[in-house]
Amino acid sequence: MSFAVALVVAAVAGFIALSYEILWYRVISFASWGLPGAFGLLLAAYLFGLAVGSRVAGAICKDETKAGDTKQLRALAAFTFVANVLAWLVVPAFGWSAKRWDWPPALAAVAIAAALLGAILPLVAHFGIKPDDKAGANLSYVYLSNIIGSAAGSLVTGFVFFDLWPLQTIGTIIACIGIALAGALVLLAEMPRAKRFAGFAGLAVAALVLVKATPTVYDRIWERLLYKSKFTDDTRFLDVVETKSGVITVTQDGTVYGGGAYDGKVSTSIRWDRNGIFRAHAVGAMHPAPKNVLMIGLATGAWAQVVSHLPGVEKLTVVEINPGYLELIAKYAEVKSLLVNPKVEIVIDDGRRWLNRHPESKFDVVVMNTTWHWRGHSTNLLSTEFLELVRTRLAPGGILYFNTTSSDDVKKTAATVFPYALRVYNFIAVSDSPFSFDKERWRKVLTTMKLDGKPILDLEKEDEREFLEQLVAYADTVNEPPRDDGLESRESVLARADAAGASIVTDDNMVPEWRQVLRFHNPP
Amino acid sequence: MRGRLWIYAIFLMSGFAALLYQVVWQRSLYAIYGINIESVTMIVTAFMLGLGVGSVVGGAISKDPKRPVLLLFSLVELGIGLFGAASLSIFRVVGDVTLGMSAVPTFLVTFLLVLVPTVLMGSTLPLLVAHLVRENKNVGKSVGTLYFVNTLGSAFASAAAVLFILGKAGQTGSVRVAALLNFTVSLLAYVAHRRASRASETTRALPDTARTTSGDEKAATTAANTPEMESVS
Repeated sequence: MSFAVALVVAAVAGFIALSYEILWYRVISFASWGLPGAFGLLLAAYLFGLAVGSRVAGAICKDETKAGDTKQLRALAAFTFVANVLAWLVVPAFGWSAKRWDWPPALAAVAIAAALLGAILPLVAHFGIKPDDKAGANLSYVYLSNIIGSAAGSLVTGFVFFDLWPLQTIGTIIACIGIALAGALVLLAEMPRAKRFAGFAGLAVAALVLVKATPTVYDRIWERLLYKSKFTDDTRFLDVVETKSGVITVTQDGTVYGGGAYDGKVSTSIRWDRNGIFRAHAVGAMHPAPKNVLMIGLATGAWAQVVSHLPGVEKLTVVEINPGYLELIAKYAEVKSLLVNPKVEIVIDDGRRWLNRHPESKFDVVVMNTTWHWRGHSTNLLSTEFLELVRTRLAPGGILYFNTTSSDDVKKTAATVFPYALRVYNFIAVSDSPFSFDKERWRKVLTTMKLDGKPILDLEKEDEREFLEQLVAYADTVNEPPRDDGLESRESVLARADAAGASIVTDDNMVPEWRQVLRFHNPP
Repeated sequence: MRGRLWIYAIFLMSGFAALLYQVVWQRSLYAIYGINIESVTMIVTAFMLGLGVGSVVGGAISKDPKRPVLLLFSLVELGIGLFGAASLSIFRVVGDVTLGMSAVPTFLVTFLLVLVPTVLMGSTLPLLVAHLVRENKNVGKSVGTLYFVNTLGSAFASAAAVLFILGKAGQTGSVRVAALLNFTVSLLAYVAHRRASRASETTRALPDTARTTSGDEKAATTAANTPEMESVS
């Protein structure tokens, strides 16, 4: 193999290997609900596979005179083909594993595929580089070429392919690129014409079979990864939105899962509260005039819809990292008016970065229905440093109100950073100024608030009047012994968090993410 | 053989440290520049390009057979360790200064920020490949084995990072662990360089010695200069 061919093969091999890794990362993130430990273990399995593959390849390279020998390209072509087919099967292996034992056993498939993909680079180096004093230098070019191909794989697959096609199409495209590489090696290899044609024909048939088999082999992969042992022949999502920013799925009952983790329900009804939406209405009980509100995270749009209709709200700025939610919201009557509400401005950005870049903005209330505290990168929105950042964006008397997802560490951090705090179910409201859950304001919100022109409670009906009184009585729970779904004072929150051994969350310690490395959830 | 094992062991540790840095640095940079797909891609690409440039630099340096590649490797590891020890503070300062920039300048700053350590990291493989190929004349075997130990070290680091290190030591502690490993690797590489230098000095002196010694003494002297005996010299 000539040195130039070695450079091209190394680049394409890098493109394929990194593209697969990105694909597998998306799959394991979804299957594990975005557990940071899962990504680390995926990377470990991938690197372990690459390591073993390169070692085995190194052991094969015993002959010192292979450089420039085009006969070796046949073996490399066969090797590349097998590696690609196995790598293409890793995603279905995750689906198969999820049904039986959740996602961890599929890491073995990652390691095996990575071993085969990883063996290509040393083989290319051996067949393309002469063992002279320039070996180190020439290797560096092959290595650079491999890295450029890898970077291109990361950019093209992660940035372009994910916005254009669903997972199964991308898996097929990458596999076909691999088969094309094998074909190119057959073309360059020194072999009889008949064998060369046989090689081309074999690869063409294999590519065709692979394309035809993809819909079956990758069938309802997201359903398999979410429902796991509960997946049946009838399991099917209502909606799946795949973009470069992530995968959003909606079950038949309207429950939304972002990246495989529960994200809420498309429901704004406080009367038939399926998603704890009363916590959004509660903003009106705690702040006397929430004119300018910031919401970090949009998800189903239910929270933004409610908050934008709270009495007194003049402007709601929503910062959402995944534009796929806009596509979803447009489909649901209960929330789609949000997209045309003149009071609402939706920005696609990272919440923390947006806050950092808008030092001039001041808000009466900052609301975050934050994702699970144990998900990867949740620290960025839960740490002391982040809370200090939000503090600087609060107007006088401003309140930060966010979901602790019942983490004692998060509750302790919030109640320590701010001198005033109140737990509302699994949320916590914090401020630099005194505030309370005002019973009369609460009643006023519940009796006067309308959603898209319709009162949130029909007080003509007796059962709804009774329900109103139950809701209003919620304000009194702060005086009762603490219970998980009630209100709780700052002192009580801190005492109980300390008793539970909670820690202050910082950017450095990332406590919520690493307190329990592996978690497995019951399927919906 | 024992000399080669020595090289493999230190390169495994080098790979462990490199991956640990990568995990922590990415976390730190994501907190500054965001975890949206644009930032993530930008940071990952900057890392890769840095490694690629480093590979070319290391390869260019290794071209001259007279250059002491093990000594250079030792210095590279020392450099990585020094940068690593100060890295989080550097990121924070640069992050504060560059936060308002748009995408292209941010990419350039991120690239420059990770350029120094990743170029150093990328240069290590060609340097050690050059060292081993000078000895065994087998590129595939040298690349395969070195890539194996280095990537194996990274695989261990990846698992250890999520299972133990990040949770126990946080970002600062993890970076300290990595820096300590770099300093250890640097020291061990320097020792290997010194031993290899002494061995080659003895080899050069051999023809003169051989003229004045008996056959048995000559055989013993030659044996002492084989790679397997490097650790004894």
